[in-house]
Amino acid sequence: MVSPIRAELRKLLGLPTARVALVLGTLLAPVVVLLNAPYNRRALAAGTLPDPTQLGLRELGVGLIGALVLGVVVVSSEYTSTGDDAPGARQLTATLTAVPHRLRLLAAKTVALVLVVAAQAAVTAAGTLALTQALHGEYVPMPAPARVVAVILYWVLTALLAYAITLITRNGIVPLTLLILNSTVVSVSYLLTKVTDLAAYLPDIAGAHMFLRTEDFPVELAPVTAGLVMTAWVVALLAAGAVLFHRRDA
Amino acid sequence: MITIDRVSKIKGKTQILYDVSFEARPGRVTGFLGPNGAGKTSTLRILLGLDRPQTGTALVCGRPYRKIDRPLTTVGAVLDGSGAHRARTARAHLRWVAASNGLPGSRVDEVLEVVGLTGDARKRAGRFSLGMSRRLGLAAALLGDPAVLILDEPVNGLDPAGIRWMRGFLRDSAAQGRTVLLSSHLMGELAETADDVVVIDKGRIVLHSGLADVIGAHRTLEDAFFALTGTEAGGPW
Repeated sequence: MVSPIRAELRKLLGLPTARVALVLGTLLAPVVVLLNAPYNRRALAAGTLPDPTQLGLRELGVGLIGALVLGVVVVSSEYTSTGDDAPGARQLTATLTAVPHRLRLLAAKTVALVLVVAAQAAVTAAGTLALTQALHGEYVPMPAPARVVAVILYWVLTALLAYAITLITRNGIVPLTLLILNSTVVSVSYLLTKVTDLAAYLPDIAGAHMFLRTEDFPVELAPVTAGLVMTAWVVALLAAGAVLFHRRDA
Repeated sequence: MITIDRVSKIKGKTQILYDVSFEARPGRVTGFLGPNGAGKTSTLRILLGLDRPQTGTALVCGRPYRKIDRPLTTVGAVLDGSGAHRARTARAHLRWVAASNGLPGSRVDEVLEVVGLTGDARKRAGRFSLGMSRRLGLAAALLGDPAVLILDEPVNGLDPAGIRWMRGFLRDSAAQGRTVLLSSHLMGELAETADDVVVIDKGRIVLHSGLADVIGAHRTLEDAFFALTGTEAGGPW
């Protein structure tokens, strides 16, 4: 089992897209903290910033885009055409001839993705929160370690969600567009919470409650409940993806 | 040893393979011959566990491919293209393939040398010519020094020197006791390389025999092929 994991780590870290996702995902949040620093400092001093204790945790969110891209490309790179000479040829053929047992392959991919995203989340969270401390230490306390662990878990689960959806679609464009739009431009999930309370149980909304508290929210999920709700989504989608991957012709 | 036993496959609503059965034995080159679309690639994909048949079994050394542990040490396969993501260098591709089966990194340089790609090891696979892609695919197949070689149209895209080299390589492999199965729609090519010939047409095996027996009363393998498949030399153009 170690050999397929080592191979999947090599494959993922060798992809240019994955490298860009790693660098951008790690640097985006600290850069946003720096760019927002003058505004935040004034707002903190004036006491107009809502819920200042969560400032660092909120600003981490933008880096999540890296985890999304990593989750998608770990699968979509298997399905992209390898060249114009052979339009039907894909890396998946090489992957499955090397590791033909479908579930063993998926287990190796999952472990590789979890390791990479957890490491990225840990570095980004530590950097962003330390920077927030350095800039606004007198107003913003360092979050409890449990909340930092919850952030890392949220990133890992988000990457796994993207990975599971791409296993089902076998194409990176649809999940990447949907997930990035939803996490940056317009949060459809958040808008849905204005329509129905049930939207609080959508994976991205529920998952964020593992480490963020919101006051004006219809359904208040405790951190552990929030984690369980998001984990249930990920497990269900991964199971569906695995069944399809196992059954479909490559 | 490769054993394919009564394999049938339906894709969508079309049946593409009907009770396909044949064997490929060690120490011999078995040519799998048929026109384009006859079912050669579909049969090889089932043999490699990529696609599932509706009925029948396809075994390599007595086991289904999906059940073989570290399969690259038993089987080397080359299908369409190199299998390398276009953004990866040849070496990076071979290194992950080697790692997946616990093979040492030193094998990467060895197989690059065998297929003559040492000088292109740092080039991205997306910039490879068709011939270079075929060589890279073959390099990956050789990483585990397998006893069985399965190649789909191995001379496609190769220049005359490459074709000559491939022919020698396949003959040498069989001489060393390996089982070699290659598909081709080029009859002249098989006549030069194969010991045994399996002819498939419209998803059915129409002949499985030694090369000399296949040619039989016909003047050449080409004549035998057209007589067996009932197609005419030359097309509708």
